[in-house]
Amino acid sequence: MAAVIPVYWMLTISLKNEVDQFAVPPLWFSFSPTLAHYRDAFLTRSFGQYLITSAIVSTGSTICALIIGTLAAYALARFRMPRRLDRKLALWILSTRMFPPIVTAVPLFLMMRDLGLLNTRLALIILYTGFNLPFVVWMMRGFFLEIPRELEDAAMIDGDSRMGALRRVLLPLVAPGLAATAVFCLIISWNEFLFALVMTQTDEAMTLPVGIAGRVTQYEIKWGVMSAAGIVAMLPILVFALAVQKYLVRGLSLGAVKG
Amino acid sequence: MGIKFHNVTKTFGNTAVVDDLSLSINDGELVVLLGPSGCGKSTTLRMLAGLEDVTSGDIYIGEQRVNEIPPQHRDIAMVFQNYALYPHMTVTDNISYPLRIRKLSGDQIRERVGNVAQLLEIEKLLGRKPRELSGGERQRVALARAIVREPRAYLMDEPLSNLDARLRVQMRGELKRLQQELGTTTIYVTHDQAEAMTLAHRVAVMRNGKLQQFDTPLTIYDRPANRFVAEFVGSPGMNFITGHVDSGNRSFQREGLKLALHDEQLARFNGTNVEVVLGIRPEHVSVSTTQQGGLLPATVYVSELMGSETFVFVTLAGEKIIARAEADFRAEVESTVWVGFDLAKAHFFDPGSGERVGN
Repeated sequence: MAAVIPVYWMLTISLKNEVDQFAVPPLWFSFSPTLAHYRDAFLTRSFGQYLITSAIVSTGSTICALIIGTLAAYALARFRMPRRLDRKLALWILSTRMFPPIVTAVPLFLMMRDLGLLNTRLALIILYTGFNLPFVVWMMRGFFLEIPRELEDAAMIDGDSRMGALRRVLLPLVAPGLAATAVFCLIISWNEFLFALVMTQTDEAMTLPVGIAGRVTQYEIKWGVMSAAGIVAMLPILVFALAVQKYLVRGLSLGAVKG
Repeated sequence: MGIKFHNVTKTFGNTAVVDDLSLSINDGELVVLLGPSGCGKSTTLRMLAGLEDVTSGDIYIGEQRVNEIPPQHRDIAMVFQNYALYPHMTVTDNISYPLRIRKLSGDQIRERVGNVAQLLEIEKLLGRKPRELSGGERQRVALARAIVREPRAYLMDEPLSNLDARLRVQMRGELKRLQQELGTTTIYVTHDQAEAMTLAHRVAVMRNGKLQQFDTPLTIYDRPANRFVAEFVGSPGMNFITGHVDSGNRSFQREGLKLALHDEQLARFNGTNVEVVLGIRPEHVSVSTTQQGGLLPATVYVSELMGSETFVFVTLAGEKIIARAEADFRAEVESTVWVGFDLAKAHFFDPGSGERVGN
């Protein structure tokens, strides 16, 4: 209930006219619904643009993080380096997630400025890929470690290359894990606020969370518009999470990949 | 295709897992690498497969030196202990995998898979996934996947040890038949001496990374090169009695025991008196409930009826000795029985090095 009520409240606000929004006692069920705020947000204002930016940035960064992270995870899971360097490397990768993100905001801002990437979607894709990488590496490393080494040995003796064995034997087996990891990455990128706020100021490069927060101004707070955009922002994640729910549970409960 | 190991060594850190191994395996031969766990036999196999690097020495398949050749180009097939079937593929896809990688045509693949499925009697399973198969069926599918390609050699890493005892004996026989029909060089790793004895043309016994003896099963059994081989091969194991040879008295002696030796045996010791370990297999120790000339009294520790025979564990001159008797032999625990040794079949080992004395 505690989780659902705010969402329901947001939904009703997005559908109420501005007078009903502030009625005391609150109008829970009986009000005349209107789509005016949705029209305002997506037709008059630039929320459509924010939505597209968010979609491009989160899918782009998720795909990049999955490709790079999966290969790194495979290497860390399978190759023994001297002096247990593989373990240390894995821990070091994880440690990059251990400090608060805000401490990197300023240096990253300066780097992006010097690269001329401020106010671009590419900047956010690069950053989110970086944030998601440690997570992907650790998740996928766990999934790879679950799979008996003999399967790859067999595939290679059967005549496959290492990359072929990875693609034809290993990846199909970790597919549920890959799906779970992808969903997590998508959600993290989709919801990310801090760096999107720092790196983007223009309508062209702004993501939804930043766009929504931007409706809190000195003179007014556009509750209706913000709620309408919030509902729309929630939907893709909700749909996607429901679609892969089965894999999500299987992926999170390690061991499900064994035949 | 013949296979040759030439002074092959494999070290992990400072420990040599395989130490200066040289083996020459003939074309079409079935060689069993036998030894306890950790003796380096699996590592030897994995080096041959290309799954482990060789620290020093050379491996040849046919005339080709394969040290630097990756597994996929060695043209060999391997059967793993846990079968390593691809869980997400059907049996058909599992078997055809090596062919699909080599881009054979669909017709060729279907024909070959059909033939091999028929050979191993798994036609009915072709549409199933590995998890729907029993252990024995998985084993057959793993074999089928190895055979389908007609490789230069088969490598088998304890392929039967995950099966229950009865199935293991059945598959053992089938494997032997199959290898004879196919005539492909096969290297088979096991710690089970019975598998080694029954399957092999020649057995290579290994211990701590070192080759102990490489010979036919019969020679390994009848003329073990050292005490370790003598102990490891044969079930129940060989009896060992520590004592010394008294050349003047023409006998092997220890406290409470004196056994007369033959001239030929005495000749091995050149008339000296030396400490020695006498080894004798249970079937060369007779046991009787009645006193007869030349038999020695011993106390029964326990006797085990195996169905076709009885193994009698007795204490003689402070040593535990196992004797094989007829199935109908009965003796109470702690009763006295009469034991005789067929000394012509005895082996002698150096007590220090464990090496065989004489031939």
